[in-house]
Amino acid sequence: MRRNRIERDDRQGDPVAPGPSAEPRDQHAGLSAGPRDPHAGLSAGPRDPHAGLSRRAFFAAAASSAAAGAAIGVTATGIAGQAASAGQVELTAQADETYPFYGEHQAGIRTPPQDHLVFMVFDVTTTSASELQVMLAKWSAAIAQYTAGLAVGAVEPERELAVPGDTGEAAGMGANQLTVTVGFAPSMFDDRFGWKKYRPAALNDLPAFASDALTPEFTGGDICVQACASDPLVAYHAIRNLARMARTTATTRWTVQGFGRASRSGDRATPRNLMGFKDGTRNIETDDDFAQQVWVGDGSDQPWMTGGSYLVARKIHMLIETWDTDYIADQHAVFGRTKLEGAPLTGTKEFDTPDFQATGADGKPVIPANAHVALAAHENNNGTKILRRGYNFTDGIDSVGRLDAGLMFISYQRDPQQFITLQQKLGSMDRLNEYIRHVGSGVYAVPPGLSAAGDYFGKALFA
Amino acid sequence: MTPSRTRSARKRPATRATYALLAGLAAGSLLLAGCSSSTTATAGSTASADGAAPVTNGAAQVKVTLSGNDCAMDYASAPAGPVTFEITNTDAAGLSEVELMSDKRILGERENIVAGLKSASFSVTLTGGTYQLNCPGATTENTDFTVTGEATAEASDVQGQLTEGTSGYGTYVEGQAANLVEAVGVLDAAVQSGDVAAAQTAYATARPFYERIEPVAESFADLDPEIDARVADVEPGAEWTGFHPIEKDLFETGAITDATKALSTKLVADIAQLQTLTTGLTYKPEELANGASSLLEEVQSSKITGEEEAYSHIDLVDFVANVEGSEQAFEYLKPALTTIDPDLTASISAQFTSVDAMLATYKDAASPGGYALYTEALRTSDAPKLTQSIQALQSPLAQLSEKVATA
Repeated sequence: MRRNRIERDDRQGDPVAPGPSAEPRDQHAGLSAGPRDPHAGLSAGPRDPHAGLSRRAFFAAAASSAAAGAAIGVTATGIAGQAASAGQVELTAQADETYPFYGEHQAGIRTPPQDHLVFMVFDVTTTSASELQVMLAKWSAAIAQYTAGLAVGAVEPERELAVPGDTGEAAGMGANQLTVTVGFAPSMFDDRFGWKKYRPAALNDLPAFASDALTPEFTGGDICVQACASDPLVAYHAIRNLARMARTTATTRWTVQGFGRASRSGDRATPRNLMGFKDGTRNIETDDDFAQQVWVGDGSDQPWMTGGSYLVARKIHMLIETWDTDYIADQHAVFGRTKLEGAPLTGTKEFDTPDFQATGADGKPVIPANAHVALAAHENNNGTKILRRGYNFTDGIDSVGRLDAGLMFISYQRDPQQFITLQQKLGSMDRLNEYIRHVGSGVYAVPPGLSAAGDYFGKALFA
Repeated sequence: MTPSRTRSARKRPATRATYALLAGLAAGSLLLAGCSSSTTATAGSTASADGAAPVTNGAAQVKVTLSGNDCAMDYASAPAGPVTFEITNTDAAGLSEVELMSDKRILGERENIVAGLKSASFSVTLTGGTYQLNCPGATTENTDFTVTGEATAEASDVQGQLTEGTSGYGTYVEGQAANLVEAVGVLDAAVQSGDVAAAQTAYATARPFYERIEPVAESFADLDPEIDARVADVEPGAEWTGFHPIEKDLFETGAITDATKALSTKLVADIAQLQTLTTGLTYKPEELANGASSLLEEVQSSKITGEEEAYSHIDLVDFVANVEGSEQAFEYLKPALTTIDPDLTASISAQFTSVDAMLATYKDAASPGGYALYTEALRTSDAPKLTQSIQALQSPLAQLSEKVATA
């Protein structure tokens, strides 16, 4: 039973077109990424060679095994068709939408944030470089399958005593815009795997910041994996199966499940964080900003990082109960913006440019100098920007009876120093600090995208 | 072994039929997929088969290429004798495994042939007939491979090794049962004489003999709860017997009563019956494999949580015994496994070595049973580490039963 893919012509550039007739130039151009970055575009049609071929090939496979008769049984590995043909799954609107896995940059960075996140950090337990190599190659191949809406291995193997290759909970659900992004922590570049000589100068453990409240349970680790999808089960399935594949090689160290994207992207309405404020209004959008602020360029000390980026993760616990008792004028002053509209206190609309020089009748700045938006603004940080790609999270109730919730802050930048510069100011001065605690932290070198099947994360580092 | 054996589930009669499988009591009850079908359908050949594969260095050389969703051989036939399959994955993201099969038996295989990594190969000696190259996940999973003539070399001795292994394991179980009888005798003597300290020591000494062969003992669905039920497993109104009420008296109240003595007398009788039942039992290879894996499930479900030895806190003693029993079952399969899947065998051996090394750090001669008491503090600090170590072992170990059943 073939389902039609959803065409999203309004959003995608054609990666093979010889030249765009109308490349968007507005500030939201990032979303409809032209040929400069075909990777970022939402690709849902047959013109995406990888996704299209895989799906077609799967249906061919299903048809041929059905034709072969009962003796062979259906051992199709494509979860989508397997369950969908049996009518077992109700599909979401995004079920069939895929983002290409292969490309210049990894997906999941410029990709418009999907609604759900599962972020997991692994500790590598093996000391064998070849075992690590096998794991990364298996992961790379598996992620290519998962992001195309396919499984690796059968949910119901033909042989009675076989352990299922795929765990099955996402069977038939489709790709749901899944992206899986992989990064390497500074700890990977020690003597264990011969990676020491490949350590980028920019990649170091983050310094301690004022007001840090980091806990070891949510800090550090060797390899991070960020899975984002429009369905939480699809994202969790990918992470769970990667963890399963890695079990003899790496152990799970910490994880955060995010719900509700909390960073603005493209022309979609700006989402809100759990404090009720819009988040990411001035997020990075343009090709120029991506080139200058997000992607590692040609001239870095480690050529293998060209086209990559650096991921900073901060698990930020919000003191929600006390925030919820704060009066609205103070909430506005803490952020420097209004709550509903999200306008800077010097303007009336969300996208009005904040005026940090404007003073009120009392002679003081309208936007307090220690308001969040004032401290973080690129105007006040020598032009420094970061791409924010955070998610709300909740972990139930904490050990002292408070709601355990907050922001899983994830940012991408071409050099972790960008984040460090901003956080050194925010950590010591931000009025928001009264209501937040940074409890988890990590920094990871995110290698560039993979070129094609057979390429794998870290390949250049095993040379 | 049964897929899920929570302790409370053991009491339910409905699960009994499955326990019988392990000890092989129900003859012929385990109908393997491979035995139930006499034909193997194949869905055509994608090989570019013109003539037989060339013979180099005494072996016919067949190249297998995984590409896209396809699995293709350069030759689909070979003369009888040694045949080497060299497998390369160019860009097949969903394929990573190739097996050569005869009907449903796996003769040779390679896994982890991932796109981008170097090629892998395996060699088998084949006699005339039709075989199937199986590539799980490929568009065409099974492709016929034809061998002409008669092989001069002798066939693989895997079956003989497996028979030897299962027989050796039977002897191992009998040895553990005999030790258990003796150790429970020592425990009983201490209990009957009212010597709490001696009984505590004897309790910790006896437990490992039971824990090492727990999957076999559990297969006797009536007897096992009599011997090893925890208080939470006992249905209201039923009598709680076996090791654990004795443990409670010895370690919690520290008093031996007439009831304790009666429990001890019954335990001696139950253990004697267990020895009778396990003597002369025969096992199938997959039962060893499943038993080895289920012992690790035991570790994760009840030892790591500290539920098993709630009064004596010698959970780590049981933990070690479960791992030892698992390792023994694996060792008896190992000669055959080394032929069937050397990579997997090496991986499991390495994981056992790593688990053993970790457990050795808990050795404590001053504690009953020779291992540190599993206190709440130790559990809080070390349980995640122990869990991950066992999971890393069980993950490859769980693949065993399919290997030996289809060998």
